[in-house]
Amino acid sequence: MAQPEIGKKTHTKVEDQPSLKGTLASVFLLGFFLIVTWLGVFFLFVDRF
Amino acid sequence: MNTNSMNPKVDRRDGKLTMAHFYVAFIALAIGGLAGLLQTLVRSGKFQLPTWTGYYQILTLHGVVLGLVLTTFFIMGFQLALVSKTSGTFTRKQRLTGWIGFWTMTIGTIMTAIMILTNQASVLYTFYAPLQAHALFYLGLTLVIIGSWIDGAAIIMAYTSWRKANPGKPSPLLTFMSLVNTLMWIVATIGVAATVLFQLLPWSLGLVDRVDVLVSRTLFWYFGHPLVYFWLLPAYMAWYAIVPKIIGGKIFSDSLARMSFILFLLFSIPVGFHHQLMEPGIDPAWKFLQVILTFLVVIPSLMTAFSLFATFEMYGRSKGSTGLFGWVKKLPWGDARFAVPFIGMLAFIPAGAGGIINASNQLNQVVHNTIWVTGHFHLTLATSVVLTFFGISYWLVPHLTGRVLTKAMNKLAIIQGVVWAIGMTFMSGAMHAAGLLGAPRRSSFSTYGGSEQAAEWIPYQIAQAVGGTILFLGIILMLYIFVNLAFFAPKGEEEFPVGEVADQAEKTPMVFENWKLWLGITVLLILFAYTIPFIDMIQNAPIGSKGYKFF
Ligand code: HEM
Ligand SMILES: [Cu+2]
Repeated sequence: MAQPEIGKKTHTKVEDQPSLKGTLASVFLLGFFLIVTWLGVFFLFVDRF
Repeated sequence: MNTNSMNPKVDRRDGKLTMAHFYVAFIALAIGGLAGLLQTLVRSGKFQLPTWTGYYQILTLHGVVLGLVLTTFFIMGFQLALVSKTSGTFTRKQRLTGWIGFWTMTIGTIMTAIMILTNQASVLYTFYAPLQAHALFYLGLTLVIIGSWIDGAAIIMAYTSWRKANPGKPSPLLTFMSLVNTLMWIVATIGVAATVLFQLLPWSLGLVDRVDVLVSRTLFWYFGHPLVYFWLLPAYMAWYAIVPKIIGGKIFSDSLARMSFILFLLFSIPVGFHHQLMEPGIDPAWKFLQVILTFLVVIPSLMTAFSLFATFEMYGRSKGSTGLFGWVKKLPWGDARFAVPFIGMLAFIPAGAGGIINASNQLNQVVHNTIWVTGHFHLTLATSVVLTFFGISYWLVPHLTGRVLTKAMNKLAIIQGVVWAIGMTFMSGAMHAAGLLGAPRRSSFSTYGGSEQAAEWIPYQIAQAVGGTILFLGIILMLYIFVNLAFFAPKGEEEFPVGEVADQAEKTPMVFENWKLWLGITVLLILFAYTIPFIDMIQNAPIGSKGYKFF
């Protein structure tokens, strides 16, 4: 297959990176949820044993 | 992604092979769903099974048919379709190999089913010794595994011929992912094959009298944890590489996807002890090591979450969304091919949180062998994975049968997903709660001699029955849609969506295709995690146990 693009730099587009702020917020919320549930059961453990 | 070998359409002959796998999978869904409904009804205390059957027979049927048969058949069929689509139509030899695999698995499934239905194998789907089933039950399961290896051989052959034809190029992403899952499966099933062939079969045939329970359970869980990743990775394939195409976006990064699959291959196997944390006979130091390795699997899981959020946000922003979460509104909520797997992704948040709890030694003492665990894997397997499989079926089945998903069916499919989510919220939520209050899993209804604590569980058991009934409705809907798409939907062309990589993504390095390296590290990690504990177990072995048949 012809590959006319060979040798052309792929990173010439300097257009600004899309913002991933929502992704950052989402993974923080996710991490927060993991910690809260884990601590919830942990305190149950501490309480019982 | 490499498009030069990509088929616009899966070849009809390869499509038939995948559909054969799917027929068995959906028959399994029908049978297993009915069993599940009965279990929740029995556990509510308001319903009794007829005398010719019993709770443990039904539960064995449910676990085997859904946990082992539905999953293995669907996954093998799906992966065969992925490889045929992205690496080119199978050769005659490869296709024949696939059919031999399919029939071997099917014969094994029938043997196993007969043993369960005639009540000669009510040992639950984990078949722990010293419960002893009829030898044909073990033999049937062995055939299922051997058949899956033969299916796997077809995938490996197709991969190898693609690489030969395209020297120096990374394989198509979906072929790569199918191959990783196949390799992981082969390495993992060696453990269960070993306990079945060397311990359980000779013992059930009466050739030996006693069995070493700890060795057998350890070999089972050497397989049992990668088993759950074998279920999960095909869902990840759809999330990473197919859902982006469905929403009209791009794969966030090809390399990140490959990297996370390789990490699953490395860290899924040397971690079986996290299922045996409460078991005597294993040195806590080795349990500790395997728990550390378990927590390493959290990394690729969080990478997946990040990558999915990023895919969705990049797509939403390209459509002009603003604000922190404006992109959520831009997603195609009216498209079942997206919405149903998305419900699965959402379920993976509480599912993952539960998993981290299960794997933590002290917290495991709170939830071990309680119905919490059942609640957990009905989120991971019976929601995240299964809803993604349903979402895949909504386009793959019509693609393979030359039909289309109509507007009406699309709508019904979304309803199906929502019904499932509601039913599972009730059932799994109540299971988690009752489990924290100490309710045991794998047990029929009992008031435990009027115990006060057991009385606390009953309202949750009724909630489980409500959820189970709603879920059963969801299963009927799914079966209806499947039959429609396989046999009755209007003829046409349904797209097989394969994602393309975002322009900004880095080029994929070839190191990911270095199987000597990855399999080498896999084996080293396994040897490191298991050799000394195994020597301990064998050197200090008790005389072993005779078999018990309580059915
Ligand atoms: C109608 C939908 C479903 C209902 C009502 C249901 C209900 C149940 C219940 C009540 C149990 C536990 C019983 C006990 O521990 O005593 C159970 C176990 C189980 N379920 Fe389901 N389930 C459903 C769907 C599924 C699906 C779709 C899968 C997998 C694809 C699945 C896989 C399993 C497995 C592997 C077990 C463990 C069996 C064992 O502990 O031996 N279930 N199910
Ligand atoms: Cu595990």
